[in-house]
Amino acid sequence: MKIELAPAGSDDSLAGSQAHLQLSQAQRELTVKVVYYGPGLSGKTTNLQMIHKKLQPEVRGRLLTVETRDDRTLFFDLLPVFFSTAGGYRVKVKLFTVPGQIIHNATRRVVLQGADAVAFIADSQRSATEDNNTYWKDLHEDMLENGLDPQEIPVVIQFNKRDLPDTKGEAEIEETRRRGKEPVISAVAIRGEGVLETLFAVLQLAYRQLDARSQLSKHIGLDERTFLTQIFSHVDLVGTNLQQEMSLDSPGMFNRSVGERK
Amino acid sequence: MIDAAGNSVGNGAAKRESVLQRRTSLTELLDLPTFTDLLKGFVELYKVGVKVFDESGAKLADFRVGNGDFCSYVFSFPEGRARCTATVARVKDGPLDAVQGARPLEGQDPGIPSSMFAVPCFTGLRYLVMPIRWEGDLLGRVIFGPFTPDDLAELPVSLTEIGRGFDAANAQGLLARIRRAPEGTVAKVMAHFAQLVETLVTAGQKTYLTSQLHIEATLETNRELEEQNRRLETMNARLKELDRLKSSFLATVSHKLRTPLTSIMGYSEMLSQGLAGPINDEQSEYVQTILDKSEALLKLISSILDISQIEAGKVRLTFEPVDIAEVIRSSLTSVAPQAQKRGIVLQLSVPERQIRGTADREKLRQTVVNLLANAVKFTPERGKVTIALTEIAGQPELKADGYRISVEDTGVGIPREHHDHIFQSFYQVDSSSTREFGGAGLGLSIVKSFVEGHGGCVSVQSEVGRGSRFTIVLPTTPPAPHSVEIAPPAKASADRNRF
Repeated sequence: MKIELAPAGSDDSLAGSQAHLQLSQAQRELTVKVVYYGPGLSGKTTNLQMIHKKLQPEVRGRLLTVETRDDRTLFFDLLPVFFSTAGGYRVKVKLFTVPGQIIHNATRRVVLQGADAVAFIADSQRSATEDNNTYWKDLHEDMLENGLDPQEIPVVIQFNKRDLPDTKGEAEIEETRRRGKEPVISAVAIRGEGVLETLFAVLQLAYRQLDARSQLSKHIGLDERTFLTQIFSHVDLVGTNLQQEMSLDSPGMFNRSVGERK
Repeated sequence: MIDAAGNSVGNGAAKRESVLQRRTSLTELLDLPTFTDLLKGFVELYKVGVKVFDESGAKLADFRVGNGDFCSYVFSFPEGRARCTATVARVKDGPLDAVQGARPLEGQDPGIPSSMFAVPCFTGLRYLVMPIRWEGDLLGRVIFGPFTPDDLAELPVSLTEIGRGFDAANAQGLLARIRRAPEGTVAKVMAHFAQLVETLVTAGQKTYLTSQLHIEATLETNRELEEQNRRLETMNARLKELDRLKSSFLATVSHKLRTPLTSIMGYSEMLSQGLAGPINDEQSEYVQTILDKSEALLKLISSILDISQIEAGKVRLTFEPVDIAEVIRSSLTSVAPQAQKRGIVLQLSVPERQIRGTADREKLRQTVVNLLANAVKFTPERGKVTIALTEIAGQPELKADGYRISVEDTGVGIPREHHDHIFQSFYQVDSSSTREFGGAGLGLSIVKSFVEGHGGCVSVQSEVGRGSRFTIVLPTTPPAPHSVEIAPPAKASADRNRF
């Protein structure tokens, strides 16, 4: 994360916090970096393509992809999402994917640098279990290599490809959920199912983490609700379970944690 | 971690800022020369001036067309100059909204970006201004104009009032050189231009990010490799140290084994000679067996001592003039009893003329003995072992004058795949525990070390079931003529051994 604060006098508690902050009088900007991590062909790029499709152009930039000839991610994909707060802060959320192929180990690590939250896209097929585990371990190693604390950086797990035959059952997914603190979301990214829910969950956790670290609400007057609404009010939520809650404008939604949502 | 002053204050591994987070400017994203060419083409095609500024107000491009004389004329009046400067400042540095003298575009064309706005000039001319944004960041602004709006009927008062002596007819004449067009048309051209700029910025952004990331990934890979190298170096140093300890251990143990063995042999000999009183035939036979086995054990210990000393780099060859045939004859006597016992014929072939070379007599003798002992060991009963010495002649392998000694047998032979390995220490062609032939696998390794110490080489030709021929080629005079330290030989590596 990068926060740039305008008034020089407002850095009282920031300098002493555990956050990785850059203070500048010139720019009033908050950058949040979310990385979609996971094994090759698990659907990371598909997630970003779907988000790009569902987001209105006012809040998102172009989807930048660098692919090999056989449509595999070569370096990364990047989808910028942005808005300005009422207080004049520019908030930029940058969604990145890492290249999944094993040979791009170093690139994955570089892309992960400075991440504020991670969406781990797992393939639900039973045959992919070993890959999922390997990349899960890699994620933790890469975090440590980058000076990120795996206990501190929030991660959301997406079980993608729920529509394919021979995938893990609900009980097994429940088991995965019980084994850790990370929210687990089922998805069929290619049909857009679970994609926005994953984005919502990862952004919510990213906000909470940043707020706990740097008191975003205090310093730039940005609360969790505003943060999420600024983005999700520009999203086509048809068919998602976010739609109902957003349209009801239920205040409870933003107070509950993602894990509790059904 | 970064403190308030922007310094890294992390304890341990600091969180690294990614290149992907870095902000880029318009200058970094656009290739200015080609961008300027594009602008030029635009200006020539549409006859409207174009200016591009980056977010800090620095001018990236400026093309004027048609308005030069008109503007110079207006500028020549002090009031005209003041008003002109104010307009230019508004267009170039003013807010990027339809405020402060600017107004929204006429009409609501859906193809025109809503961020575009018009700035009327006091002369009746007009500018269109549009911000260049990327991911919500302002990268700069594009200014089209000035152009004459097609609805401009006559010169406005704000122009005609600028000074006494203002010649309206002259101004009209100069104004006619400026492109007259409807605002909507210029807006469409500008919208098209904006698309082109966006395409260029997108491509620039992509190239910039990928090349930066590529560099970072390469550096990351490099860092990993360096770390691996460091680990391997440490491991290598450790292995070398272990190897040295092994050689030193072998040397010490062999030495300590030899002392009691010499006593065993001495006392056995005294017993067999009847020095401790008469012994019967059966006792004599037993004692002889003790002597034979002790002899074999002594040879083995000597070999281990030799190879460990070679490996520790402790062996020196001392050269002197040697009668080579004499060394060969003396070597034959050491293997003769063994050969005789198994009915193996030993055949010697040496030139009539005396062959003299410079060599370490003892080491050369041991070399020949080792080859002969091997030949005898691997040759079945009633076989034949031939040793031959050649005349001194030019040796192509050595690029020097020298002689060859070959030892040929009618033994079991060595399969082709083992030829490269048999000169490594402790290497056995048959490494099974039930193998037929004894030995530690050191004889040929010692041969190779000694021969190479002489500046010579050793080779093998063999056919399974037919026999083997070992040939050593030695220079008449070793390259270092007095003495030389022997380099440690190659080791048999376990992984090449097994499968």
